[in-house]
Amino acid sequence: MYVVMVYDLEADRTQKALKIGRRYLTHVQNSVLEGEISEGDLSKLKNEIDDLLKPGESTIIYELSSDTLLNRTVYGEDPTENQRFL
Amino acid sequence: MDRNYHVFSDGRLERSDDTLRLVPDDGGEKQYIPIENAEAFFLHGQIDFNTRLMSFLNDRTVALHVFGWEDYYSGSVMPKRGQTSGKTVVNQVRAYEDSQHRRQLAAAIVRGSIHNMRTNVVYYNGRDHDLDDIIEELEAAAARVDKELPVDELLGTEATARKAYYRSFNEILPSEFQLSQREYNPPPNEINSLISFGNSLVYANCVSAIRATALDPTISYLHEPGERRYSLSLDLADLFKPVLADRVLFRLVNRNQISDTDFETELGSCLLNESGRKTYTKAFEETLERTVEHPTLNRKVSYQYLMRLEAYKLKKHLLTGEEYDPFQRWW
Repeated sequence: MYVVMVYDLEADRTQKALKIGRRYLTHVQNSVLEGEISEGDLSKLKNEIDDLLKPGESTIIYELSSDTLLNRTVYGEDPTENQRFL
Repeated sequence: MDRNYHVFSDGRLERSDDTLRLVPDDGGEKQYIPIENAEAFFLHGQIDFNTRLMSFLNDRTVALHVFGWEDYYSGSVMPKRGQTSGKTVVNQVRAYEDSQHRRQLAAAIVRGSIHNMRTNVVYYNGRDHDLDDIIEELEAAAARVDKELPVDELLGTEATARKAYYRSFNEILPSEFQLSQREYNPPPNEINSLISFGNSLVYANCVSAIRATALDPTISYLHEPGERRYSLSLDLADLFKPVLADRVLFRLVNRNQISDTDFETELGSCLLNESGRKTYTKAFEETLERTVEHPTLNRKVSYQYLMRLEAYKLKKHLLTGEEYDPFQRWW
């Protein structure tokens, strides 16, 4: 499954969400990560994020059953390109 | 789901923020790699790492496969065994010692291997190439496979079939890419180096697959164990080379995605350069992720998972005696 995760945390805590997200997804822009993920990993990610959040903060995860359903247009450089060929 | 990552650049691989980070030597941007979905890293460049990284990879059961000079597979750093079973190893050795049992397994592997070569040839035969005589030769070789044959004769049959099979390459590929003869150490021309590179990727993936089970990678049936290599991986790789490595090769060369600028030729040797390797591994990884409907599991499985299944099947055969039916392309 393909997910896009966006988070909005207090300015000095954003790193925490990024650290968790990076273990599962690719960081594409400030506060945005995306990538292919298994259902098991997704529920782990959701739990970790849920535990992290304080009142007033939020994280949204958009799920698609497959990346083929996603119309994705990138202007400029694509941060996910060659992600597996370093 | 578990992905392979290929590192071509030189740099340092390190643990950072509970995931992996690559710091390139050329001062380029640091890249973070999601650890949770990594199966293995294929290191083609010069990489530094420390023991802290090793224990981290060990915890996450991620393997490192190292490729050295001239793309040779030079070894793997594997996580400590999660799967151990003395019983499996004992049965594995018993099957090897029992010459009848060993022959039976070796014959199965050769049968599967020839079948998979044949499906490639049949596919291209239907696409404006006249390969009838090679199909016949492969069928003749397949007919000679018998579980009563000694192992060296089985190996010989496999070699004859493979030789015929490689002749089809000259038909399938454009005239500027001719195989003429299979050679390595080092490969003398483009096609030989593509075959070698592809085979080494298949081999390393089989090492990962075997590692996921309690099987001992050094005890094999078709190939003689005790060579310096993980010979069981050689056994399994034979089944998958035509499906994985060769199809990628045909596709890339026939679509001109690989050309002579992707190689470095030196005296007597011809090797893929970095751009060639990148093109090839990309196509190879895409192939690994392709899925097919599995006839008995009733779900879709990736080509990569087929290798894992093969190891499971072999283990099950050794433990329960259920017949080992080699992987034969069914689609």
